[in-house]
Amino acid sequence: MLNLIRNEWMKLWSKKGTWVMTGLIIIAAIGVMGMMKWVNDFSSMGEVDAEILGQGNWEQVIKEELEMTTATLEQKGLKAEEKKQLEGNKKVLEYRLSHSIEPLVDNDRNFFIASGSTSSLFVLLMTVIVAAGIVAAEFSQGTIKMLLTRPIKRWKILTSKYLTVLLFGFVLMIIDFIVMTISAYMFFPVGAGKELIWNGKEVVEASVWGHGLYMLLLEFGGIIILATFAFMVGTIFRSNGMAVGLSLFIYFTGPIVVLQLQRYEIAKYLLFANSDLTMYETGYIPLEGLTLPFSLAVLAVYLVIFLVISFTSFIKRDITA
Amino acid sequence: METKPVVELKNLTKIIGKKKIIDDVSLSLYPGQITGFLGPNGAGKTTTIRMLVGLMKQTQGSIFIEGQSLDEDFEEGLSKVGVIVENPEMYKYMTGYKNLVHFSRMHKGVTKERIMEVVTQVGMQNRIHDKVSRYSLGMRQRLGLAQALLHKPKFLILDEPTNGLDPAGIREFREHLRVIADKEGVAVFVSSHMLSEIELMCDRVAVIQNGRLVEVRDMQQLYDSHYYLEAFPTDVAKALLTADGFQVEDYKEGFVIKAEKTKIPGLIQQLTTGEVQVFAVQPHRQTLEDQFLEMTGGGQIAESHTK
Repeated sequence: MLNLIRNEWMKLWSKKGTWVMTGLIIIAAIGVMGMMKWVNDFSSMGEVDAEILGQGNWEQVIKEELEMTTATLEQKGLKAEEKKQLEGNKKVLEYRLSHSIEPLVDNDRNFFIASGSTSSLFVLLMTVIVAAGIVAAEFSQGTIKMLLTRPIKRWKILTSKYLTVLLFGFVLMIIDFIVMTISAYMFFPVGAGKELIWNGKEVVEASVWGHGLYMLLLEFGGIIILATFAFMVGTIFRSNGMAVGLSLFIYFTGPIVVLQLQRYEIAKYLLFANSDLTMYETGYIPLEGLTLPFSLAVLAVYLVIFLVISFTSFIKRDITA
Repeated sequence: METKPVVELKNLTKIIGKKKIIDDVSLSLYPGQITGFLGPNGAGKTTTIRMLVGLMKQTQGSIFIEGQSLDEDFEEGLSKVGVIVENPEMYKYMTGYKNLVHFSRMHKGVTKERIMEVVTQVGMQNRIHDKVSRYSLGMRQRLGLAQALLHKPKFLILDEPTNGLDPAGIREFREHLRVIADKEGVAVFVSSHMLSEIELMCDRVAVIQNGRLVEVRDMQQLYDSHYYLEAFPTDVAKALLTADGFQVEDYKEGFVIKAEKTKIPGLIQQLTTGEVQVFAVQPHRQTLEDQFLEMTGGGQIAESHTK
């Protein structure tokens, strides 16, 4: 199996396209940070913004947030899970005020590190392209005949390809994170802000690196799901373009469908109600009743379905190309 | 031939939709022997070969490689098989060498030395580190042969291997095959619709038509002593020969008989004493093409069925 993955890895990096994609990721990561810097410099020149962002005013913002949280906590019908989360938030906000600790703001390098990847959409796109092509290209080049007339069972070949896609996505993600971190160090100073969390007993300072990597992991979950979908389409239809197109189509229309169906119970079980796992950290949760374990379970079911379809179609197929 | 067959096809049948593409084909292939696989377009050559190498699954029947059923142990069976299916499509964006490394990783025990050995064997030493996209068709064919030989197969399958090769290339390819079959005792199975090609290359031919195996013949059989005679008056000559128990067939202006060489002088004497004027006696060799047309009922070779 290791040899098969080495083969796929060698083929992947022998293509110019792969290097171009990796280059784009690096440019995108630097570009996004550069733009942030530019926007920041630009806005801090204006006096109006300085009033909002400037020293002293963060306490005002925290106070308002605390009031809102308290109000929400008093509502009836909260689930135990949600209540726990809100109480934790409340403790953190109170702690900030009593100890006068600023939150991280977006002119602080730690802010970016803690938020994981700022250009993960590119990583997603590139991984989807590779996932779509890794089987489809063997068919379009005609090399599938050479690949499948070896003394190796088909499921092993497909597994090696799938693992290669995941590995590629992971490597891109890491590259993206490293480049972004370096840019953050170049463009932004360390601010006074600190990342705080409620660990169940007390408020403690969270590691920005730990939080950043956790965010990466959550983002990677969404990438895996869409890449697996592209992999499936590429395997069934042997068409690279179709796999990329279809994946991006559902990626962009998915959230709209979720919005349309939000009144119905079934919306919870849709792929795109759950695929963005970072929502549990950023706080924007589109539907009620979603929790991280629930989303992970739903995504796991989709993943298994996609893989079962890919493997059955690949193993059963008569190669006539 | 008394040796054990390397490959046995037993009652192989393939049904696609409602159509029987391959109908109950049984065939054995022996070490050191090159077997040609002939048939009109659409007769089922490619389908048969694809079933042999695991690209397609047969509906019924089984394939044995050195006694081991391919269905029971695919990996063990296929580890003894080298394959070139039509044009050997390589990864064009990699060098020839990397392509070989790629395929060698999919077999057990192929060393770097073995790769270079095969490269030398097919005469590619000078260009092996160039990208495949810069190779000519002839070089790609050689690389195709190299990848099929990497793991020292006992059985080599080639589907239309000389497609697109120039005459010199074809000749070279033929010689390669001959060496592999003779020196390493590999059983070779070559499909082609180029009859003259098969005639030069093979020890034996198997002919398939409409999915059925219609004939398996040793090439030697083709050259069984036949003689062409021109004699006058024809009917008297014929009568005389038939009386002696020869089979007589009209051919061109004379006729063809089957006879041992030693019988020819006596035969001529008999004809001349029987007041027959003999104009010509010459060994007659029926070409594979004649035989092929005879076996398949003629005319269908050029007819293009949908593949």
